[in-house]
Amino acid sequence: MVQSADRPFLRLFVTPSVLVAGGFVASLAAILQYSLRAYIPGELEPGGFSLSNFAELLKPLYARAFLDTVLICAETAFFTLLLAYPLAFALVRTKNPVLKSVLLVTAVTPLFLGEIVRTYSWIIVLGNTGFVNSLLKAVGFINQPIQMMFTTFGVVVALVHVTLPVMVIMLAAAISHIDRDYEKAAASLGAGPLRTFLTVTLPLSLPGIVAGVTTSFAWTFSAFATPQLIGGGQVSTISTLVYQLGFANFNFPFAAALSLAGIVFTVLVIALLRRAAQPLEKMGGHA
Amino acid sequence: MKKYLAAFAAAATLLASVPASAQEKLIVSTWGGSFKDLIAETIAKKFTADTGVEVEYITGGTIDRLNKAKLAKGSPESDITFTTSHVGWLYANDGLFEELDLSKIPNAGHLVEQAKISPYHIGSWAYVYTIGYRPDLLPAGVKIESWADLWKPELKGTLASPDFDPSHIMVVSALLSGGDAATWEKGQEKLLELKPNFKAFYTNDANSQQLISTGETPIQVLLSMNGYYMKSQGVPIEIIIPKEGAVLGVDTMGIMAGTKKADLAYKFLNAALDPEVQAAIAEFKKGSPVVDNARLDPETAGLPGVFTTPEQWKTQAIIIDHKLRAEKTGEWRKWFAENMMAK
Repeated sequence: MVQSADRPFLRLFVTPSVLVAGGFVASLAAILQYSLRAYIPGELEPGGFSLSNFAELLKPLYARAFLDTVLICAETAFFTLLLAYPLAFALVRTKNPVLKSVLLVTAVTPLFLGEIVRTYSWIIVLGNTGFVNSLLKAVGFINQPIQMMFTTFGVVVALVHVTLPVMVIMLAAAISHIDRDYEKAAASLGAGPLRTFLTVTLPLSLPGIVAGVTTSFAWTFSAFATPQLIGGGQVSTISTLVYQLGFANFNFPFAAALSLAGIVFTVLVIALLRRAAQPLEKMGGHA
Repeated sequence: MKKYLAAFAAAATLLASVPASAQEKLIVSTWGGSFKDLIAETIAKKFTADTGVEVEYITGGTIDRLNKAKLAKGSPESDITFTTSHVGWLYANDGLFEELDLSKIPNAGHLVEQAKISPYHIGSWAYVYTIGYRPDLLPAGVKIESWADLWKPELKGTLASPDFDPSHIMVVSALLSGGDAATWEKGQEKLLELKPNFKAFYTNDANSQQLISTGETPIQVLLSMNGYYMKSQGVPIEIIIPKEGAVLGVDTMGIMAGTKKADLAYKFLNAALDPEVQAAIAEFKKGSPVVDNARLDPETAGLPGVFTTPEQWKTQAIIIDHKLRAEKTGEWRKWFAENMMAK
């Protein structure tokens, strides 16, 4: 009763989220039941109970796709972090309002473009007759175009662009919460700017780094349009396989099994990541 | 107050006097973009002129619409659905299409045999999946006249085909290996030999267009209509019919089971098979008419992949049995993804 008196709108606000959560649970239950049913060629309705969809997942092709997906996610998170940190740092610390606006627009603009538009743009940039190859050819660095499309490299480049805004926002939030007195104390004790950054600022921003990397990892795990279009069928990830094997050929039971395995795998990887990052987060914790 | 009541009564009388057909709308489910425009500019125009009934569209991808139709089974969102011939069989097998009474479609008397897909769905236009290439970007001296030419080592890393449907190249490989669609396994070994020549697999028509127009994949197994569209945009593409023939595709239409406008739906199907409408469709998309009495202009009729004579249908089209294709697509797709697309 005390709780409802303190928060009179609690029930009102919680109800929609419970309904949404119910919808998610129902969807997951549907995926689970589809994954346990047999695929009947030429029919839309799946057959009876079967574990064969999960047995299929043991093929090396799928293990390789899971591994490739993790590697692509890790590379994307790493390079996004490398690019996003200086951007976020400058965004928070610069006092020039014009520069701040320019940085903000640069960092956040990709969010306003759809994933498809961004991906098609990258096809134009990375193609054999695209911007990068044309430029390198024009300045005489290369005679033959460098193959960037349909490679893991191309997919990672485009995915970094997709995840960059979110990483910048998360890092900027973490950096803005750092008490500048710690840095001043370090400087007054004789530490130079680089040492102050490496021993004070960077450790204190670790919670933001961990949150950003985890989010980027999870986001990339479910990315579809970018690996599908840039990878051109030559780079297989879990989501592209779900599309190729499930939806493109109406094998919904197998697509469901693959999706379910993907969800479980993602949760496991994220849990491991969080566990590994716990000591770092503690190190970065500050009042 | 009396004035208002009188005005209201007059308006109600006026509305009641409008013919019922003018208030009705026929709902057609189709692909978006140029295919919706094609239907609106040709079939729907004729249908509305004949009946006074407007047409509304539900657009989406082949599989999205199939899923929606499945969820709405019994009370369909659309009265008519356009889909591919083999996916049409999935609609039919799931009881989503009504069995057609061809006596209610007088123009169906001229339907070519190849467009009579099932008792539930019939062709609306046809096309081929064939070889399209950029002569300016292929290695010097490479000639493309047969499907077997795709296997030439000079074409290493140049080829693309659709990732959503490998049936064309799989059946071609089976044919070149002495098999056919039913014995597709005979072509597996040969198909694996083609793997080095593949550079990419395109996801949709737009992706196909981009890959060939930028020269990223200078040779493709492509939809003839797509090739002609790119040609009209100035991309120097050569489209050929290989000596073994090109793989026929038929887009089809069916009446949704449970529709309350079956009579209008039949009239729409009849309008679609009108010879003038069929000629207009062929002009618009550079595809084949599915009736034998459509008169095309000589330029369109002369294009490779546009079939206007029984001889062309017989000798230039590789036909994969549509029902078999619906049943085998899953198996083919899986084999292709596991063996051809995987590194």
